[in-house]
Amino acid sequence: MWSYIVRRLLYNVPVYLGIILVLMLALRVNDPVWARLGKSASPEAYQAFKEQMGLAEPFWRQYLTFLGKVFAFDLSDESWEHTGVSVGGLLRVSFPPTLAITVPALLLTSLISISVGLVSSFFRGRWLDRALMFAAVLGMSVSFLVYIVFGQYWGAYALNEHIEGELFAVAGYEPGPGNWVTYCMLPVLISTIVAMGYDTRFYRAVMVEECGRDYIVTAMAKGAPKRKIMFVHMLKNAMIPIITRIMITLPFLIMGSFLLEMYFNIPGMGRMLLQAITTADFPVTQGFVAVFALVFILTNVLTDVLYALVDPRVRLA
Amino acid sequence: MRALDRGFRWLLGQRGVRKLLRDRVALVALAVISVYVGIAALILFFDVITLDETTERVGPRTMPGVWESPSLESRLAFAELYLETVQNALDKRSPEKALAEVRFAELELAALSIDERQALLDEGWDLFDELDELDDLDAAAERDPGVLAKLSRFEETAARLYRRPTGCAALKYRARLLLGTDRQGRSILVRSIYSIKVATQIGVVAALISVLIGTLLGGAAAFFGGWVDHLVVWLYSTFSSIPWIVLLTVLASMFMGSRFDGGLVPVYSAFCLSFWIAPCRVIRGEVLKLKELEFVQAATAIGFGRARILLKHVLPNTAHLMFINFSLLFIGAIKAEVILSFLGLGVKNEPSWGVMINHSREEVINHFFWQIGSATFFMVVLVLAFNVLSDALQDAFDPKHVG
Repeated sequence: MWSYIVRRLLYNVPVYLGIILVLMLALRVNDPVWARLGKSASPEAYQAFKEQMGLAEPFWRQYLTFLGKVFAFDLSDESWEHTGVSVGGLLRVSFPPTLAITVPALLLTSLISISVGLVSSFFRGRWLDRALMFAAVLGMSVSFLVYIVFGQYWGAYALNEHIEGELFAVAGYEPGPGNWVTYCMLPVLISTIVAMGYDTRFYRAVMVEECGRDYIVTAMAKGAPKRKIMFVHMLKNAMIPIITRIMITLPFLIMGSFLLEMYFNIPGMGRMLLQAITTADFPVTQGFVAVFALVFILTNVLTDVLYALVDPRVRLA
Repeated sequence: MRALDRGFRWLLGQRGVRKLLRDRVALVALAVISVYVGIAALILFFDVITLDETTERVGPRTMPGVWESPSLESRLAFAELYLETVQNALDKRSPEKALAEVRFAELELAALSIDERQALLDEGWDLFDELDELDDLDAAAERDPGVLAKLSRFEETAARLYRRPTGCAALKYRARLLLGTDRQGRSILVRSIYSIKVATQIGVVAALISVLIGTLLGGAAAFFGGWVDHLVVWLYSTFSSIPWIVLLTVLASMFMGSRFDGGLVPVYSAFCLSFWIAPCRVIRGEVLKLKELEFVQAATAIGFGRARILLKHVLPNTAHLMFINFSLLFIGAIKAEVILSFLGLGVKNEPSWGVMINHSREEVINHFFWQIGSATFFMVVLVLAFNVLSDALQDAFDPKHVG
């Protein structure tokens, strides 16, 4: 098992090098110094700033310097926008809010969609199944943004007016578990509803496929109750695609947290990165993007490892 | 003609196509998509709706659509707008010339002399001032039915300044106010329909180029193997390991401040560079299977070149996957455009559903749902049709696929 983990990690090293290369190149297409100083800056000031920030050096040297910093976990570059704050400092501040949304959203989404998928495949072909699947397709066709706008309106604004109190905040964020329901519950619910359309369809398809297998026929022939077959025999065997799927939803959740953070004014990583992009805060953009990619790759490795745990055949491949 | 006929026969001979044509829901979806593409083509090639028409002011701010009777406030605002337009023209240094230029949303001025006009205006303004003094129109109307009568008299006065449109112009005038107006008094219906063109343009270009890149890279990787395969696999694992939205925002922000800023080029390039991965992966897998089959061996035995076998014999056999991916990416592009517009990195010079949904955020707080509802409706119909079509395509051509 350990050799498999090490192999997966080694395999992802060139991928990560590639990501950093692509992102660093993409971030330099639009000259970051010009974007920061504006068109009216004098050429001397421009040159001085560029040299001070190490952006005047040849690209390969910048690349190696940045890689060195990333692998040493050195995120001490100062932000251009917030004076005196390092990239690492911003990261530390913005990490908990993001986590407070994504982790509950992931758990809730998986739990609900697997249940709905099971119910739907249990009643396969009947009206409940059809209604659920039509609702899923319809739900998939509506834009994420519409869910957010209406979610905020009815979930917070109109609801607060109706009950004359504040169950969910319209926007904003306060740290601490006591404030979680007020500030994070609504974004989590919205994100769950959006993801459900995709997930339930997938889980239903997986379970329907699993239903046609020989071991199910055998169990039925032996006279095992249908409920037991569905929940004990089938669910266990459907675990591989389920785990893969849960991991695949992660990027979707990251995207969701981006939009939700922007909309609900939650100072998470996505909001920080987007603000850095719009204010041409180059070190923060570069640092955050590198961290995002790293987290992403680590979850990919984790998926592979989980996969191998469930299905030992994978380890040999 | 004969080639076309033969093409049709061949198409109908395909088992998957026959299966698709038996699926009624898929046919409806196909019809809906054709209507949308038709509208988009009409706007793109024949300028049925021009860009100016989407920014033209046709009524007061945030007026509701026909199914909701407008509030007294907005009725007052509407008639005031009519008066104001004429008044502004009269106040110009050369009223005759300014009046000739007045064309308010298909309405032309009635043929009146300047004095007659001024008389009507004075009458109108008097009524307006009386009505405007009441700070709560609805409450006032409840107390005193005279207020309502006064309001309709005011509206009549305003209407007499204009010639009633007839025939086509009347239809057009009504149609523009059908779904109400946004916060700048622009027609929501016109903007929603124009957005069909923008969405189709983005969808077709992004999906087509992504599928082409993906097919060529994926096919070459699987067919040639060796270092080509390693390179392509490395490339797509790299691109797919950057969170999609990070890649999209970084790519779209690449063009900020450049001469392409605000146009469709940043959107296209961001989509193409992040969308090619899915078709590439799928087609690589398929070609890996296909290249072991007899027909490839036969072609090799005849002595065809490798590239020719790949392009003429192997890749056409992945056409169904290209169609499925095209359909999926089309949906992806339309939905991603909304998100980019929200982040301020998307379409800027034209209306689009994303821009409309983004603008309607402030309106929703004021209980005005016409803009977001209209944009969502137009978008959902198209995306739903594509979702249904993708499912049907998958059932017909790739039945073993899960999910």
